[in-house]
Amino acid sequence: MTAIRLEGVTRSYGAVRAVDDVSLTVNEGEFFTLLGPSGCGKTTLLRMIAGFTDVEHGSIWFGARRIDAVPAHRRNTGMVFQSYAVFPNLTVAGNVAYGLRARKVGRAETGARVARALASVQLGALGERWPHELSGGQLQRVAIARSLVIEPAVLLFDEPLSNLDAQLRTQLRVEIRQLQRQLGLTAVYVTHDQEEALAVSDRIAVMRAGRVEQVGPPEAIYRTPGTAFVAEFMGSTNMLPGRIEAVDGAEIAVRAGGAMFRVQGAAGTVGDPVLLSIRPETMRVLAGDADGRSVTEDGRSVTATLVLREFLGPTLRLHTVLPDGTPLRVAALGGQEIRQGAGGALLLGYDAAQIILYPAS
Amino acid sequence: MKGIGGLGAFRACVCLAALLFLGVFLVYPLATVLLASVRDPDTGAWTLAPYRQIAASRYYLGSVGNSLLAGVLSMGFVCVLAVPLAFCLARLEVPGKPVLLTLASLPLVLPSFVGAYALVLLFGHAGIATVAMRDIGLPVGSIYGMPGIVIVFTLTLYPYVLMPVMAGFQAVDIAIEEAARNLGGSRFHVFRTVLLPVVMPSVLAGALLVFIEALENFGVPAVLAEDRPFLALDIFKLFAGESDSNPGAAGALSVLLVACTAGVLVLQRRWLARRRFATGARRVPPPIVLGRGGRIAAGVFCWAVVLLSVLPFAAVLVISFQHFRGPVLNWEITLSNYAALLRGSYRPLWNTLLLASIAAMAVTLLGAPIGYVLARHRSRLSTLLDIVVTVPFAVSGTVLGIGLVIAFNSGWLVLTGGWLILSVAFVVRKLPFSVRSAGAIVHQIDPSLEEASINLGVSPLRTFLTMTVPMMAAGLAGGMVLVWVTVTSELSATIVLYSSRWRTMTVLMFQSLEGTAPGEAAAAASILIVFTALPLLLVYRLLQRQGMGVL
Amino acid sequence: MKREGTAMRMGLWLGLALAIAGQAEAAERRMVLYSANDDTVNKMVAEGFTKSTGIAIDVVSTGSGVLFRRLASEQANPQADVVWGVSSVLLKDGTKYFQPYAAKDRDAIPAQFRDANNLWIGTNLQILVIAQNTKAIPGAEGPTGWGDLLDPKWKGRIAYTDPANSGSSYVTATALLSLWGGDDAAWTKMRALLANTKVLNRSTQVFDGNGSGEYPLGISLEYAGLLWAENGAPVRVTYPADGTVALVEGAAVIKGAANPAEAKAFVDYLNEKPTQEQLLRATFRRPARQDIDLASLPGHMPALSALKLLPYDDAKWEAARRDTLAKLKTAIQETR
Repeated sequence: MTAIRLEGVTRSYGAVRAVDDVSLTVNEGEFFTLLGPSGCGKTTLLRMIAGFTDVEHGSIWFGARRIDAVPAHRRNTGMVFQSYAVFPNLTVAGNVAYGLRARKVGRAETGARVARALASVQLGALGERWPHELSGGQLQRVAIARSLVIEPAVLLFDEPLSNLDAQLRTQLRVEIRQLQRQLGLTAVYVTHDQEEALAVSDRIAVMRAGRVEQVGPPEAIYRTPGTAFVAEFMGSTNMLPGRIEAVDGAEIAVRAGGAMFRVQGAAGTVGDPVLLSIRPETMRVLAGDADGRSVTEDGRSVTATLVLREFLGPTLRLHTVLPDGTPLRVAALGGQEIRQGAGGALLLGYDAAQIILYPAS
Repeated sequence: MKGIGGLGAFRACVCLAALLFLGVFLVYPLATVLLASVRDPDTGAWTLAPYRQIAASRYYLGSVGNSLLAGVLSMGFVCVLAVPLAFCLARLEVPGKPVLLTLASLPLVLPSFVGAYALVLLFGHAGIATVAMRDIGLPVGSIYGMPGIVIVFTLTLYPYVLMPVMAGFQAVDIAIEEAARNLGGSRFHVFRTVLLPVVMPSVLAGALLVFIEALENFGVPAVLAEDRPFLALDIFKLFAGESDSNPGAAGALSVLLVACTAGVLVLQRRWLARRRFATGARRVPPPIVLGRGGRIAAGVFCWAVVLLSVLPFAAVLVISFQHFRGPVLNWEITLSNYAALLRGSYRPLWNTLLLASIAAMAVTLLGAPIGYVLARHRSRLSTLLDIVVTVPFAVSGTVLGIGLVIAFNSGWLVLTGGWLILSVAFVVRKLPFSVRSAGAIVHQIDPSLEEASINLGVSPLRTFLTMTVPMMAAGLAGGMVLVWVTVTSELSATIVLYSSRWRTMTVLMFQSLEGTAPGEAAAAASILIVFTALPLLLVYRLLQRQGMGVL
Repeated sequence: MKREGTAMRMGLWLGLALAIAGQAEAAERRMVLYSANDDTVNKMVAEGFTKSTGIAIDVVSTGSGVLFRRLASEQANPQADVVWGVSSVLLKDGTKYFQPYAAKDRDAIPAQFRDANNLWIGTNLQILVIAQNTKAIPGAEGPTGWGDLLDPKWKGRIAYTDPANSGSSYVTATALLSLWGGDDAAWTKMRALLANTKVLNRSTQVFDGNGSGEYPLGISLEYAGLLWAENGAPVRVTYPADGTVALVEGAAVIKGAANPAEAKAFVDYLNEKPTQEQLLRATFRRPARQDIDLASLPGHMPALSALKLLPYDDAKWEAARRDTLAKLKTAIQETR
């Protein structure tokens, strides 16, 4: 078990700072995810930990050992690649034994450890197969077994599931998480899929343009995103540009999309442009009268026009527009009965505490 | 903090070692020759006079113009001919495909001056075919001048485009094609808008080789140019002509030739850099089934092109069995040419095979790591290496040969008169081919395979040797055989460097042809063809299995 | 590991092969000859020399231009012992590469055909001739002198070697310029002549092309015309009535040669009477020594004294070489 510490790590390509002064600590045995859109620097950061990309400034530590000048092949990390990188010229067992050979592990021990590793990824029977005989999911299991078997100080995952289909993705991520926990290995996981990140991680670092926007456990990142970028990236939130109309103590009235939202937030100044983050599931469809007049006692509601309804089983997604035409997505429970058809008016209630106010950048 | 241990060190070592080798055996010898173009021969002062002379001379400007024109036309015709041919051979059912493929690679084997000689016998002013056609009332011209040169270049250089483009057509992801067809494109429309752009990099790479070879070749214009001046020919005359020796002007023209080639290379790089066409084909696309008419048309087209291109071979073979009295052709079938050849020494054949083997192995050993580093790694050092390693493309063999003699005839390293200097010349001349083919192979290997190996604890050097090299092996072997084959027909550097003990088959052919034994030259060429066609055939088998282009 | 084994075996095999190759020709007395003559000639002379002296010859044979580039490049460490078959123009220009040797039979060779300081010695004479393919042009209809070649009816039918690539071609052009007066009028005539020619890159192309009928007429050399004619080709050699030039070809011992004794023996051998007769029989090389009865030998060459020889100021034309060649080049370009 090894903790990883990054201190002021920087790497630029020409004028572009791919990784810009990143400092992070990954605790022992933690499953830590680097999340962000493509080009945000997450893969570069992972490759610096693995040793495939030089560190320009800053330092990387495994426990008390500084490793950023250690050659990649002596860092004792186990990396799983997006393209599987299973050696086509070796059998499945040969692939898994590869790292043990490099470590000059004896023949008998190698056999036993390879068998155990293959069993742990449910490929016990396929040791003698050749890679071209396997499916994508099986190949990635081989790759995982191959990096587990060397008992690395750190496990590194570079978008390991993005070449697989949806069902296999969910299945394999559960297995990865379980294996990591069983073995108690420290893992750094790179993905651009926020659902995946939320599902597997102990903590997530959301990255943008080479910098870390926010670090925290999945719930915190999802519920209280620190910035508009994180909010938008973390879920299918509605981001409404608006302007502060009035400030009354902790309550701020914002005009957005042609409607008035009363939300809670840090003090702002009247006239400031702001962004409202409204998650679809935080809006409720109210049984208002036909004119859409407010029936909530606290008056926290807006009217919208229904454009399209999507029935998704457990939930019902409503595509609506606010009075000035700004689109707003609303998620209702699939069981809820909503009579309005396309063009009908909806009264939408909200919880002021669930709407997050960001200064417009 | 720079240079992460093994990885960076390995790359830097390869770059530096390669630069050292090229510095000693390419840049230094060339400098001894080309500096003549900026030095006054009497005072040693710096001067640009030779360049001014050239710019002011209508003759030399014409020579540059003719060479460029021949290069561009050959390139164009090769593409027009080879791209459809590649498509037919890669994707259509054509009768006798294996035979066609073998025949189509033969033009690489025959030294161009022998081919040109054979063509003159057939199609010259008084050529057999010319006379025969005139007798039946066909008013044909002779093959001299620009049309003849372009035709010969087209028919001898088209394998340079055919091979990589065929591989390209086989690597096109069938899904792209199906998607395009699904969108309602006609077959031709799909070919033009989807397939062609995908294979365009291969077309360009091949076409570039054609252009450079056409620019640099001096054997063909020497026979067929008649009155027209050509750059490579003028360089030879100015360097080594018996009458008009002018190293300054020759150096200046060489620099011009290098500049032309470099310019085209840069253009190609630019074009390629803006586009990415990699498609991940998982399987070889199935042959397209044509109707009866289409099948016949495709078959006729393929066979016509290929048979036309092996015409010089047929001619050489026929001539090798003709009786010559002195230099005079008698049209009686005889084995006397072969008998005369076999009575002589077997040394030239042995030398050719030995030198070609040494050069092919050395060039592969050198080219594979360079190609690997250039394909995988970009740095200022590797960019410099990339430029230097392509220079031999643009340098005529004569110039390099003279440079090597001047540089290594005395002093700290004496190589003249032996096999080593010939090997060095061959290695340097063929290095760009080897590097490019190695690079092409490396591009087909997923870099994360190597990273996975390093990550699992195997050092970069060992990873390269035990993981990458075996994966490249088939492609490298293919490239090695092609180098081997082209070395056996090398003349321009050999003629400057050979010693009597290390006389090769091409030297023998050249001397017999220049002397009074053209029959022996033809017999020697036929023997060489047999000896080189066999390995080529094997490569074809290999390449077909691997489905990859190595040119 | 299997692959490495293969590579190793290959390497061993190669090393062995090289060792054997090196062994094969050791021990006996040898010398290196740089020759611009064709292979048939080289082979014949080398075999004869070995038979009579026991000295083996390694021949490097290529165009004289390349030979002299090699000699110049190799000055510090000469690879050759003798250079042979190159024109006196190049020999005079290259005396710095030679060492003096007073050859045995030199007195049989007129003084104008050898160097006063014995740095080189003439072995053969090349006579400029007009070669006519009698299949293309019946015997009597051909030109009898240089002047006839200016007739527009020969346009495109005369083969001529590029003077920039051939020493004898340059001599032809300059001898004719002298013959025609050396002034502007001479250049006008020269232009008229060039306008009728196809300018080819190598002299063998002229010989072959004329012999096979590619070009009905050729500005050629005596030996080549006779070689084709005597071997059955319809070639007729015309010694121009308005005069011709005899070019000397010779041999020289290289300064700093590794085998000087062998080299000198070879130069002697070249000018022995039997050698010269053998050369004439096989390849129609006219001997430089004047004590051989040409009429009794194949080809039945006329004696040198029977030819109308033009005076040729080679020092003058050597000095004017670059300018004259440039002028010829322009003339060739302008008449295409």
